[in-house]
Amino acid sequence: MPAAGPQGPEILIASGAVHIGDRVVYPNQGICRVRGIEHREIAGRSWEFVTLSREEDGATVMVPREKVAGVGLRRVASDKEIELVFDFLSAPGGDPELDWKVRHRAHGEKMVGGELMGTTEVLKGLHALARLRPLPQKERELYDNARHLLVQEIAAAMSLAPAVAEDNLDYALVPPDGMKRKGRTLIAAQPLRAVPPTLAAIDGEEDLEDAGGTVELPGLEDEEAVIAEPAVEDSSEADQVVAPKKVAAKKKPVAKKTKPAPKSKPKGKAPAQGRSKSSPKAKSKSKVAAKPRAKRK
Amino acid sequence: MIRIVTLAELDPEALAFATKRLYAAFGVGVESAGQARMPADASDGDAFFADRVVTQARVVKSFSDDKVLYFTNAPLALPAGPMGAGPVFGFAQYGGERAVVTSHGLSGMPLAEGLAKRATHHVGHLFDLHHCFDPRCAMYPEWAPAFAQFPDVALCPFCREKSEHKIRLAGS
Repeated sequence: MPAAGPQGPEILIASGAVHIGDRVVYPNQGICRVRGIEHREIAGRSWEFVTLSREEDGATVMVPREKVAGVGLRRVASDKEIELVFDFLSAPGGDPELDWKVRHRAHGEKMVGGELMGTTEVLKGLHALARLRPLPQKERELYDNARHLLVQEIAAAMSLAPAVAEDNLDYALVPPDGMKRKGRTLIAAQPLRAVPPTLAAIDGEEDLEDAGGTVELPGLEDEEAVIAEPAVEDSSEADQVVAPKKVAAKKKPVAKKTKPAPKSKPKGKAPAQGRSKSSPKAKSKSKVAAKPRAKRK
Repeated sequence: MIRIVTLAELDPEALAFATKRLYAAFGVGVESAGQARMPADASDGDAFFADRVVTQARVVKSFSDDKVLYFTNAPLALPAGPMGAGPVFGFAQYGGERAVVTSHGLSGMPLAEGLAKRATHHVGHLFDLHHCFDPRCAMYPEWAPAFAQFPDVALCPFCREKSEHKIRLAGS
């Protein structure tokens, strides 16, 4: 039986113990304050709940006491942990994960885990991805949610106004001229060279071409090099100012032309590469190829 | 309703333009609530602390859910955060009632568009909007060159939808 101290009973969480009145972080909910312990009779069974109040809007969160340690409840980050967050955000790199299944799983796990660094990784990963292509609606919401949680925690941990916390977050992600981090001058954000694609909601893994344009941002050369296809054989194509993915998309259908369509494919179904990251041209070609087969049957 | 209070003499045409753009961006009424004096206590010598300006400036009578936007032409500052002190063009009480915007330091943008875009940005914070990664959206970080590159004062579909949702939930 936990001893009742001057601050009330001890509530055990994964990283130690908290008391009534302490501020904690609930995964995906944000900063909460421990309000107390309540007893409720539910379905003939007596339950002991730890009651939390979300600071943002006062919403009540009730967690069965025996499950408190397992839901990912933790203390608000310390100044040192916040410093690590800014070190990570202002560090160069952070190539986005381009496989949406891997990305979806990884981001989901990090958000459910509720760790500060996990949320930061989600934000930085999606921010880097957003510079290459528009985010689908679900990921746009996830980006906003991660940003919201991070801003709230930085503000709470450092006693700053949320607007100041968010400005600092973006001083790291989109550095203004002359911004320094631990003596190192950060690469300042530059004007755009081309109009980025529209932010209209696009479905799942549609190509950049579907969005009607390319994003060309200065300082992204390294990131583009990562997603570029290994070699561009035709020198005339290499001279064109085309996004690396476009070059890849142009070359893929040429390779497919020489390959006869397998007869054992299910009728009416496009070949597997139809949903891969190939261009819409490849998709339309696979549909055209499927039509005669359908007529024959 | 968004109520505008001027803390300095500003170009009436620029103010009228900002008023129109705010109405277009958020779809709520925008009206002038007169002029007020810059609170002297907020001064730090070179600049005014924006967070003190919004708390110490003249109180404007408003209904619940109304937003009060102060316009000034004085340089603003904010307490340094973990990244140090950066450029400050305004401040908003996130999800709150009051914001302040300055026309100081507008470069690469006409006064009317610049002031309107900054006003939209900070009123967006009042409606719970965070910074956006779309450079054409008014919620894009204001210090980035791309903010001035797109002078159109507009919100991206996501930010617009989020602010509309917030306005729909407003009690008044």
